[in-house]
Amino acid sequence: MSEFHLTEDQQDCLQELINVAMGQASDQLARYLDTFVYLKVPSIESVDAKDLMNTLSQQKNTMAVVSQGFFGYEGIRGEALLVYQEEDSGRIADLLGYEPDELSQDEQLIDISSILTTTFLNVFARQIDNQMSYNAPKLLPSAKENLSEHLQQMPFSWDLALKVNINYQVTDYSFNCNMILLIPETAITNIKHVLDRILAEF
Amino acid sequence: MLDFNALISTTMTDTLTLNEQVLKQINSQIANQLNTGVLVLDADFNIVIWNRFLQVHTDKIAKNTLGQSIFSAFPELPERWLSRKFSSVFQLNTPSFCSWEQRHHLFELPHTRPITTDSEFMAQNCTFLPIETDCKSKYICILIEDVTDVCHYQTKLQKTLAELAQISRIDGLTQIYNRRHWQESLEQEYAKARRHDKKLSLIMLDLDYFKLLNDNYGHQCGDMVLIEVSALISSLLRVEDIFGRYGGEEFAIILPETALSGAIELAQRICNKIATKVLIYKDQAIKVTVSLGVAQLSVEESNYEELITLSDNALYQAKALGRNQVCSADCSKSLLID
Repeated sequence: MSEFHLTEDQQDCLQELINVAMGQASDQLARYLDTFVYLKVPSIESVDAKDLMNTLSQQKNTMAVVSQGFFGYEGIRGEALLVYQEEDSGRIADLLGYEPDELSQDEQLIDISSILTTTFLNVFARQIDNQMSYNAPKLLPSAKENLSEHLQQMPFSWDLALKVNINYQVTDYSFNCNMILLIPETAITNIKHVLDRILAEF
Repeated sequence: MLDFNALISTTMTDTLTLNEQVLKQINSQIANQLNTGVLVLDADFNIVIWNRFLQVHTDKIAKNTLGQSIFSAFPELPERWLSRKFSSVFQLNTPSFCSWEQRHHLFELPHTRPITTDSEFMAQNCTFLPIETDCKSKYICILIEDVTDVCHYQTKLQKTLAELAQISRIDGLTQIYNRRHWQESLEQEYAKARRHDKKLSLIMLDLDYFKLLNDNYGHQCGDMVLIEVSALISSLLRVEDIFGRYGGEEFAIILPETALSGAIELAQRICNKIATKVLIYKDQAIKVTVSLGVAQLSVEESNYEELITLSDNALYQAKALGRNQVCSADCSKSLLID
């Protein structure tokens, strides 16, 4: 096991923190969007760069990917990727409470992505006594070909990343999307410190 | 600056130490010297603070603007949409963003390069940040960054890339598709025809006695003939036909969803049109002819190259039969058997 892998205790602790954050985030989102938002139990795994690119480029019907960087104290940082499928994003303006002619499809995707990412990560950050800042979300150009290219050009070099996969569903608006949080090696070490501290206090 | 000092005096109490006052002054001076617009709104969207950047970029007077609703101070803002965005910042306590890539600008502000760029207003990246204070009242801080330069160069880059992509597909002399792009198109059309079980035909054509023409009149005359013939053929084609320069004086036309009979008819029309056209070079009348080979994709070919071979064979047949004529793959096959 490499120094970047989580121990079983650390993994359980992170899973628990994420579960709590998901609960609170889904509650906040439901109140803002005025509809139920389902967050599916996440998967947490370590992935190497090559595996990740393979899985992401194999996803069919990927219509768009929105990327948003996040960074907090104690070296907690990473990048959130929101992956949308063609059939799941027809009524985003409606869901956000906008008139469709007020904004473009791209802007709808960026707006909803930013709301989902920042709401979840803000709650998560509070769980670990941290506070997050965010980059402006970016729509990656034509998702399919460029996703792996984008991953290669990420602002940090990494071989291994902690991948947290959360699925958002809003059935009333047949909305569905996947949030992938990628935390690079150096930040994993930092997260492990935080988890150890929480485990010690527990 | 006036606005920041005003805020300080309302929040400052006598118990503030000198240190804190100095810090406040530093903070306010930084805010006023930033090359970024800073605007703070209260929960009713009224302007509470705005920095010098905005004061100098708008013609509004500070004391008239403070306390006003942002939507009456800046009537150009899309009120419904932006109010909903503000409400997400207040309610979810999360930042929100607005990028020039989706929306060139929110605030109609002039910029510092009105002469050297073609945009009228400053391109902006806007950030909306939630601000919570001790007294439980909530504010939104709007940051407005001038990204006119980025926008200008990005737009130029996109334009150049599109031009480059176009140039890489075009033959410089005749302005029709070059061999590489034509062949890629044939590969795609072949795949499409196979997948959807559609017809596909091909015409290969070659100028007759082109070498002789070059020898007699010079290469500039040869170039003129290539340009004129390309233009003449282009005028006879449908939009979906793909016309390219295959090599020196050889051309090729992909005809999607076209049967052999239709392709022969078009080839015959091209043949007649060129044979009857009189070209003028340095006051001399020049007549040229072409030979054409036509083939239709059948069940037998297992790749697009075989279709090229079929029409190429037909073309050589047309040459062998005396030039200035059309030959189809069918007739070249039967002739070979005879």
